Amino acid sequence: MTDGVERINDELLSAWVDGELGPVEHARVQDWLRLHPQDMARVKAWAADRAALGEMCRPLVEDPVPAALAKTVWRRRAPSGWALAASAAGLILTGALIGGASAWHWEQQQHALEMAQLRTQLAIGTAQGWVERAAFAHDVYVAEPRHAVEVKAQEEHLSRWLTRRIGIPVKLFDLREHGFELVGGRLLPDGPGKSAQLMYEDAQRHRVTVYLRKPETGTDAEFRYERHGELGMFYWIEEGAGYALVGGLPKGVLLALARSIYRQHPGTEAPAPASSASDVPRR
Amino acid sequence: MDAPPVFRRQLLDAIPRLRRYARTLTFDTAAADDLAQQALERALSHWQQFDARREMAVWLLSIAHNAHLDTVRRESRMTVTDPDELQRVQDAQGADAGTDVGLRMDLRAALASLPQEQREPLLLVCVEQFSYAEVAEVMHIPIGTVMSRVYRGRLALRSILEGPGHRRPVPGVQLKRVM
Repeated sequence: MTDGVERINDELLSAWVDGELGPVEHARVQDWLRLHPQDMARVKAWAADRAALGEMCRPLVEDPVPAALAKTVWRRRAPSGWALAASAAGLILTGALIGGASAWHWEQQQHALEMAQLRTQLAIGTAQGWVERAAFAHDVYVAEPRHAVEVKAQEEHLSRWLTRRIGIPVKLFDLREHGFELVGGRLLPDGPGKSAQLMYEDAQRHRVTVYLRKPETGTDAEFRYERHGELGMFYWIEEGAGYALVGGLPKGVLLALARSIYRQHPGTEAPAPASSASDVPRR
Repeated sequence: MDAPPVFRRQLLDAIPRLRRYARTLTFDTAAADDLAQQALERALSHWQQFDARREMAVWLLSIAHNAHLDTVRRESRMTVTDPDELQRVQDAQGADAGTDVGLRMDLRAALASLPQEQREPLLLVCVEQFSYAEVAEVMHIPIGTVMSRVYRGRLALRSILEGPGHRRPVPGVQLKRVM
């Protein structure tokens, strides 16, 4: 078909529909179409398809963003699987993200995001995974009015039982000089291993927890302090035992408690850890 | 270093488009959200590669494109949409009011039957309103290839819409319009 105008190939016609041509080519196609109603009809059909596809898919962007995706965006780098689970648990605790995500309004979502961010920082902002776990375990059980502990302090076997389970001597630290009574303890999963949590409470019902575990490496680690919102924690590794003290109390109070625990570490007094472990009944 | 809040905010704003794109790739809401999730995670861990002068959506969709290819390769499943799944999507979405349902079903089915390599650029152009250059960036193909795939996608779509059930258009006669 040569009508004195250079034949326009079909791909160019298609590109014309998408506004992809420069002014010169655009004008050339325009001229061609004026003279070729058949091509004009095709081009119009393509343009209608373009509009129809756009129209069909447009509503998809109006769907509310699922909480899980929004949360991903606020998450800190390289979270472990556990941290994700823990932050999810934390979210459930705050009650911020429960329920029909699709029904949310943007503002509610924003609020939830902020909570998620806070939670996420708590979960991942610490250097070691087990410290995060300590913080979450604290959160989970401190909120329990009646079932805060698995085994009450009065039960003699608490220390023996936990010692046997987590593989390091668990001493029931005496924090009464600071006004804290032992409530009891529980056994917890700790990644692939196990850990113990001891809970203490003062007369004002402030609760602190001590998280104990056997560290992966034998290397001691010095005292470290972190604060996340209301929650403060001291953690350290001493003679084959990892400690994390967690509580929503001022740093000074927590420090005093941490020092007290540190002084009572089984290795720092007789009997030595080896012998104290040996009087643990074996199965 | 962790991704800065500005970047995260941009990422958050791009999620609706990311999800839409993912849904047109997978035709499955759950799979689309998995894909979106993967893309977001990749974007976050490679945030330093993002040029802030560029369009976030283009960058993010390009990541999603790669993630989708990886998934397809890994699962070594067909990229062709399962008809049952398509029906499910249609049932779920045909319900929402608005434009003519018949048309939507027609168009959707036609779209789903296009080969992925044509459907994707066509949608990026028609739905995301990306330029050919941007599509080229998303799909890692030359602009000329984008142009010819968009064209072939259009032809295929037309021939499906005008296909069985419709009279074959006689050359020289005004094409029968379906919509």
